[in-house]
Formats: sequence, structure tokens, C-alpha cells
Amino acid sequence: MSASAKDSQSRSGQAIGQHILQVRNLQKTYPNGTRALRGVSFDVKRGEFLVVIGLSGSGKSTMLRCLNRLHHPTGGEVLYTDRQGQQLDLAKCQGDEILEVRRRIGMIFQHFNLIPRHSVLENVLYGSLGRTSSLKSILGMYSAEDQAKAMNFLKLVGIGEKAHFRAAQLSGGQQQRVAIARALTQSPDILLADEPVASLDPATCHVVMDYLKKVNQELGLTIICNLHFLSLVRQYATRVIALKGGELVYEGSPADIDEAWFSRIYGEGAKEVHIN
Amino acid sequence: MASAEVVVSSGGAKFRQTVFDAVVFAYLAIFAVVVVYRPSEEQMLKLGENASLFGAFVVIGAILSVVLQHKNIKTLGWMIYAPPHLKQRSQDELVAPMHKTLWGVQLILSVVVTTVVGFVMTKIDVLQLLEAERFWHAMRLFGELASPNLEILPKAVLKIIETIYIAFMATAIAVPIAFVLSFLMARNIMGSSRVGFGIYFALRTIFNVSRSIEPVLWAIIFSIWATFGPFAGMLALTVHSIASLAKQYSEYVESVEDGPIEGIESTGAGRLQTVWFAVVPQVVLPYISYTVYRWDTNVRMATILGFVGGGGIGTMLMEYQGQAKWPEVGCIILVIATVVWIMDTFSAHVRAAIK
Ligand SMILES: Nc1ncnc2c1ncn2[C@@H]1O[C@H](COP(=O)(O)OP(=O)(O)OP(=O)(O)O)[C@@H](O)[C@H]1O
Ligand SMILES: [Mg+2]
Repeated sequence: MSASAKDSQSRSGQAIGQHILQVRNLQKTYPNGTRALRGVSFDVKRGEFLVVIGLSGSGKSTMLRCLNRLHHPTGGEVLYTDRQGQQLDLAKCQGDEILEVRRRIGMIFQHFNLIPRHSVLENVLYGSLGRTSSLKSILGMYSAEDQAKAMNFLKLVGIGEKAHFRAAQLSGGQQQRVAIARALTQSPDILLADEPVASLDPATCHVVMDYLKKVNQELGLTIICNLHFLSLVRQYATRVIALKGGELVYEGSPADIDEAWFSRIYGEGAKEVHIN
Repeated sequence: MASAEVVVSSGGAKFRQTVFDAVVFAYLAIFAVVVVYRPSEEQMLKLGENASLFGAFVVIGAILSVVLQHKNIKTLGWMIYAPPHLKQRSQDELVAPMHKTLWGVQLILSVVVTTVVGFVMTKIDVLQLLEAERFWHAMRLFGELASPNLEILPKAVLKIIETIYIAFMATAIAVPIAFVLSFLMARNIMGSSRVGFGIYFALRTIFNVSRSIEPVLWAIIFSIWATFGPFAGMLALTVHSIASLAKQYSEYVESVEDGPIEGIESTGAGRLQTVWFAVVPQVVLPYISYTVYRWDTNVRMATILGFVGGGGIGTMLMEYQGQAKWPEVGCIILVIATVVWIMDTFSAHVRAAIK
């Protein structure tokens, strides 16, 4: 599509394929009347590392949650194309279809959202809840395949040896890696990340971002990630969109965010903070 | 929408304020009527007429309250129900001494009137306690209680064991039922759909009503329905325990963190799985802690229930007390006090260990 998108494609040096999501006029008005999204449209290509930026309250979290139906959009379309080329409007799904949408779209969160009292391995296994019956999961009867998968992903994020620790005993960065492993265990087609490093220190933050990058490049998983720090955006994003007041105000390559764009997204007088 | 919220809540606040002021006014007015007219017993028993009079005063009070609200005079209702931001603004004003404000006068009058009525109603007569004959009679009774007849100790011990088991069974039967109910009675679990909210609301109402029926009343009902004895006592305690456990449990469910719920939901887990994996781990410890406390309370309650036919040591206590056998009563009280003390300490220890 746009020239900047092609730039980022060539720069990241990997094949970015066809559309996986086409978001059209997405709207979300909360029951209390807050209009968090006022008609947002953009495309996501398979294999992209798309970063969403914007001020606090601009609607980033709301948007991610409307994609995987943790929240329900009040208008617009989210057209998803699966690996077989089948198209489905995620915004129209109802009932159990919503669970299927969530299963296909993994998510990690700022506060990790693990079950602190349960073991790391159990937490990762919860990624398979969507395809395990209630009874079996409550009795702890996960399939051998799922167990192997969980252990594999735990090793992939470098904490296989912590499998039997309680999640609460791990550091923030390690917990976020457990969360990544849990999301991967879902075998998702897209991974959403809502400010995955906002509660981590700068060094740990890069470790986690590097794992996301690894997942993106090695497993070819499409990632949509909310971030606060522009230095991280430049380092990891293949493409950037910016929200302001529930509307899309920028779409393009991370390299193209200059002073003018910056003040348009964050307001006059805002200064960029560097994190390394 | 933020401003819309404020309007809604201050509308509700105004209504509550009016009702509150109206009832306070009617209360004071009725008191004045009683003092001035000194109605006869016969007149006092005319419930319908008196209620209408009260109602009339409520209406007058409500009108007064609305008028005062319009004139921006602070009533007691305003002090209690006005939204904080309104109170904030009025802080720049001079601080008037309480007895010179309307709300202060309302408050002082209500307290004074209630205290006076209280004295009259309870027929307080300290001198009665000091009459020599009564005083020595009571002292003799204390003396007999303080020299317990230990001959009945074996029977008392057997009976208190019965009481402990009545309490245990009531708790054990109530726990699983209350466990399931607690999720259905939690707003954060049920509030998302209309049907869910309906179930939530219906259960809340039913259990609020059944909790307001004291276990003693349940015991009276069950000692007629079942036979007089431990079974009736246990049933009464069970009903009461289900209601209070479910209420307390559901409050724990309502205070769980959303993060883990979102985390589990995001994997495509179903509703039951979400509750089991994200909510239950957050509430088990408080559940256990409260359950132990409940068992401990149930032992104390089971003792009382014995008085109205609930079996156990309470029934034994009632029998000896009826025959004025004070040394035997003293022995039973000793046993009860010891067991209650042990249960109390035990339950405190368990709860401390769990935290
Ligand atoms: N559950 C909710 N109910 C009502 N309003 C909400 C809810 N969640 C978010 N909002 C509102 O929607 C708007 C967008 O919020 P959102 O959390 O999506 O912003 P954000 O860009 O993620 O901000 P942050 O960077 O602080 O996380 C805000 O005005 C917020 O107050
Ligand atoms: Mg957010």
C-alpha cells in the first residue's frame, strides 16, 4: 500500500505477506458513554510487527481488546483472513464464536495477568484451555501434545528450568515471558501485546521485546503491540499507527515519525524520553 | 458523560436526603405529639391511625426538606447524602457552631429524644439493683454457679461434643452449597448479561431476607417440622450458614483482581474455566479462613439453639436452668466457656496461619 509500508517491509528483510486483518471504521462506545474509538481503519499484514502508539487514554488498549473480543466493538468491521484464505468478520462473532476468536488471537498484558499462586507450567498450559473441555481442564487432564507444547514454549522463552516455580516467585520480566509462552501455547495466528514492557526496567524491557521479535521472525507470528517509548518503536516496529482521541492520526514507517508528527500525536510541548 | 453521571448521582442523593429529613421530622413530630397529648394505651394500639399520622408527618417533612433544599439551608440529610463536591465548595464559608445550624439542631434533638425514649422504654431503675433482698438473692445464685457440680461433667462433655458436631455438620453441608451460590451472587461474574443479572438479583434478595431471620427463629420452625433435637438445630444452623457464607464468599469474589480473569479469558477459555482458573485461586484462602470462623461461630450459636429445641448442650442447660439447679448450670457454663475459648483460639490460629 503506502510507500512507507513498503520501506519497512524491505528494511525488516522478511517476507510480509497478505492482509491478515482489515480493520474498517472500528468504533467502541463504553456503556457509560465514553467514545473510546471513533472509527478506526487500518490493515495488518501477515508477519508484521505493528506498533500502536498514542497518549494515555487515546484508545490503544480498547482497540486491542476489540480485535480479540475481550471487549465488544459497537461498530465497524474486523476482517480476518486465515491461512487458508477464508475471510471472517471478527466483530460480528457471537457466543462461542467469540471464544474461538480469542483462541486464535493470543494476548499479553502490562501486568502479565498470570495466576500467581499456580506454577509456571500450569500457567503456560492455560494457553490450551480453549481446546480442552471444562471437565478435563479442571481435573488437570491436558493432552500429552499440549503438555509438550507448553514445555517447548517455556524453553523458547528461556525459562524451562522455572517450570515448577510458582508464578509469583518470578521477576516481572520472567513473568512476562511466561505470559508469552502461554499465548504461544494457544497456537495463535496473531499476538496482541498491551504495553508488555511498561512495568519493567529498561534492561528487562529489551529482553522481553527481543523475545517478541524472535517470535515474530522465527515463528512468523503477526504482532500488534502497544508501546509508550518511541526508542523501542524505532527498534522493533516494522510499521506504526498512532491513535489520538480514538482516531487514527498516523500510519507509516517508524523512521518517518519526525518532530512534526511527534507533536501531532503527543501534543505541543511534549518531549521524547529515551530509554536504552 | 462525566457530567451526566454527577447529575444522576445527585438526583439519587437529593431523593435520599429528602426521605431522610422527612423521617427524622416525622420521628420528632410523633415524639412531640406523645409528650403533649399523653395518649392512652388504647390509642397507642391503633396501629392504622398512628401509622397514618406518621405518614402525614413524613409528607410534611418531605415538603419542608424540599423547601429548605431550595433555600440552600443544610439539613442533616444534606450533611449525610450530599455528593462530596458540593460539600467541598461550601468549605470556604464560615464555620458555624453546630447548635446554630439547622442540621446540628436536628442531630442534637434526635439524639436527646432517642435517649429519653430509651430510658422510658427499658424502664431503667438502678435502685432496683440495690434493694437488699434482690441483691443477696443474686449473690447467692452467683455463689452456687461458682461452685459447679462436677458430677454432671461427663454428661456435659458428651453433650458439648454433640453441639460441636451439630455445628460441624451445619458448616460442612453449607460450604459446597454456598460455594456454588457465591459465584452466582457476585456481580462481576453475573452482571455482564441480562439473565445473569436477573439470577444475581433474585439470589441476593432471597438470601438477604433469609439472613435477616435469626437462627433461633429457624430452630423454632425446624423443631416443629423435624423433631425436637440435634437434627432440628443442625438444619437451622445450615440454613443460616448457607446464607451468611454465600454472602461473605460472594463479597470475596467481587473483590478479585480483573487481571487474571482477563488473562484466562484471552486464551479462549469458557466461562466455567475462567471462574475455576482465574477466580477460585484468588478466593480459596479467604474462603477457608471465613469457613473456620463460621464453624467457630456455629458452635456458639448451636449452644443457644439448644434452648429452643436444637439439641446439644443448650438443651441440657435449659433443663437444669428450668429447675433452678444452679451448681449444675455452673458446671455446664464452665464446659461451654472452655470449649468456646478453645474454638476461638484454634480458629484465630488457623486464620493467622493462612494469611
Ligand atoms: N471499561 C471501561 N469503561 C468505560 N470507559 C473506559 C473503559 N476502559 C477504558 N475506558 C475509557 O476509554 C478511553 C480509552 O481508554 P484506553 O484504556 O483504551 O486508553 P489507552 O490508550 O490504552 O491508555 P493507556 O496508555 O493509559 O493505557 C479512556 O477515556 C478510558 O477512560
Ligand atoms: Mg492501555
